[in-house]
Amino acid sequence: MAKTLVIQPVTRIEGHAKVTIQLNDAGNVDTARVNVIELRGFERFCMGRPVEDMPRITPRICGVCPWSHHLASAKACDAVFGVTPPPAGAKLRELCNSIAYMEEHILHFYFLAGADFLLGPDAPYSVRNVIGVLQAAPDVAQRVVKVRHMCAKMLETLAGKAIHPQAAVPGGFSKPLTKDERDKVRKQADEALELAKFSIAFAKENVFPKYLEVVKTLGVINTGFIGTVKDDGALNLYDGKLRLMTPAGTYQDFTYDKYTDYIAEHIESWSYLKFPYAKQWGEGFSMDTDGPKGVYRANTLARINVCDYIDTPLANAELEEFRKNFGRPAQLTLLYHWARLIELLYNAENTIRLLDDPEITSTETRVKVTPRAARGVGCTEAPRGTLIHDYETDADGLVTNVNLIVGTTHNNAPINMSVTQAAKSLIKDGQYDQGVLNTVEMSIRAYDPCLSCATHRLDGKLSVKLEIVDADGKVLDTLAN
Amino acid sequence: MSALEQSPGEIGPSDLPDFCSKPTLVLGVGNTLFGDDGFGCAVIEYAESHCSIPEDVCLLDVGTGVRKLLFTLCLSPIRPQQLIIIDAIDVGRAPGEIFEIDPAELPVAKLDDFSLHQLPTSNMLRELQDTCGVKVRILACQTNPLPEEICEGLSAAVRDAVPRAADWLIGHYFPAARSA
Repeated sequence: MAKTLVIQPVTRIEGHAKVTIQLNDAGNVDTARVNVIELRGFERFCMGRPVEDMPRITPRICGVCPWSHHLASAKACDAVFGVTPPPAGAKLRELCNSIAYMEEHILHFYFLAGADFLLGPDAPYSVRNVIGVLQAAPDVAQRVVKVRHMCAKMLETLAGKAIHPQAAVPGGFSKPLTKDERDKVRKQADEALELAKFSIAFAKENVFPKYLEVVKTLGVINTGFIGTVKDDGALNLYDGKLRLMTPAGTYQDFTYDKYTDYIAEHIESWSYLKFPYAKQWGEGFSMDTDGPKGVYRANTLARINVCDYIDTPLANAELEEFRKNFGRPAQLTLLYHWARLIELLYNAENTIRLLDDPEITSTETRVKVTPRAARGVGCTEAPRGTLIHDYETDADGLVTNVNLIVGTTHNNAPINMSVTQAAKSLIKDGQYDQGVLNTVEMSIRAYDPCLSCATHRLDGKLSVKLEIVDADGKVLDTLAN
Repeated sequence: MSALEQSPGEIGPSDLPDFCSKPTLVLGVGNTLFGDDGFGCAVIEYAESHCSIPEDVCLLDVGTGVRKLLFTLCLSPIRPQQLIIIDAIDVGRAPGEIFEIDPAELPVAKLDDFSLHQLPTSNMLRELQDTCGVKVRILACQTNPLPEEICEGLSAAVRDAVPRAADWLIGHYFPAARSA
């Protein structure tokens, strides 16, 4: 009898998701779909508001990626007003972006995905969490905790308010950095760099070799990639041009405002979330795991693939070693974790580079802006992928149109494909257990998806549960965490 | 010496965000873009604008970012003595009714659900209280149905509850500020 497995929600990812695995009569996987709850009505909510309010409003969308929305929004406003921030303003924005990245990547590697690797996917649910990580590797945990706390402290020093940041404004950055503040943050940056170096060394010695077989097999799909590079092809996470790479490794570069010439959005009846695809490739859209069409990926692995090099020495050395092992573009899904640690190292080096730049303490951090009718597209690389804010305003500077493509949306099709691939390889003849299902979830967590914060009532009304349902909708079995 | 052989350094107050070292931490939780879900944030705004906050108290509108902050607290070697969460809830009471909840009494649907995507995570609150020595109190407000699409602003019943919740907060934790 055909069965449906439902995992809801996927644990330890940022947002809510339900995974439905449809088994056929033989007990093998027929289809696997990841359904997410999407933030709805935001575009309409923004209509008629002064566009300069957008960098203040958009961090409220998501408590996980507030800095990414804040900065993409400020950049879109720059474009709407037709201004370029002074060098110090742009560098302070990039500095905050790099520090926020470190905080996020540390959290994800050690405490979201880390539990899978440090404790194993078959570990009991009750210990497969942050407390379990702390108990399994207390020295590592203490080091990690210290630097993660310092990153929060650094953002507090730079921007005053880190939870709902307001320091980036149209035309620049509102809070110049004093030399005393710079010196204070600089010492903390040294320690962050040591943690970044430690992390990738630790992972290469203790984590990746142990799970290399899983890395080579779990959720593996073949897709293109998108990310941001500078004019010379170097990795950049704050500013540059977009690069869309085919699965074969050829690529096209384009400016942010041309994204609609290269990307279209496909709709599936079973998902609220759209499926962006590379319309420029002219092959349409298909999530067939054996022959996908138009599917590309964003986030860490994508950025590491599309860049020609990294302009900081330690991260670039890691990139070269990574490419020697896995080629370019690397396709193995769990390599997102490895790529994330290369980015952690890059951000630590970039933080120091920016702090050592004498221009960073200039008091000229913003320019004046004047309302006008215009369209402006702002883009940053959020930790979870390319983030696009597209605004239009009238002559009074009031918003008349808004479109957002968030990082996780780019990965909607690849996540579904990876889950399908993982489920097919791990669920055979109707045989499954909690460990197998968590391993399926691992293929989702590799993408570090942020599936909309939506509402946050205390009761939540969601728990982790697995339902096994037959073709008639009858619940045959329920497993709950 | 390789990076792996180095011992981690001690964590001091200067390494930590300020909210870690305040004896009393009050967090207003919610998404102001979704109607009554913004109750906790509104209480913080009201309290900040109607009294002077003592030095040993930290009030924060953490909006949708509370999970990261709770996570930081769980891992921190220096924590507040008491943590007060102000949040919205739907447990079938009259809209606008405010009441205290012990972390151990959180709705069953939330128990044993460790995940950073649930706010505020009941497990982290229980960990803070049971194993980290932080006294956790939760003041909740029953909401009207939340909008499915973004819609700012509290309903009348929940808006009326904001000053009552602020009074409860001030009366319990900084009564001297009431006359300020």
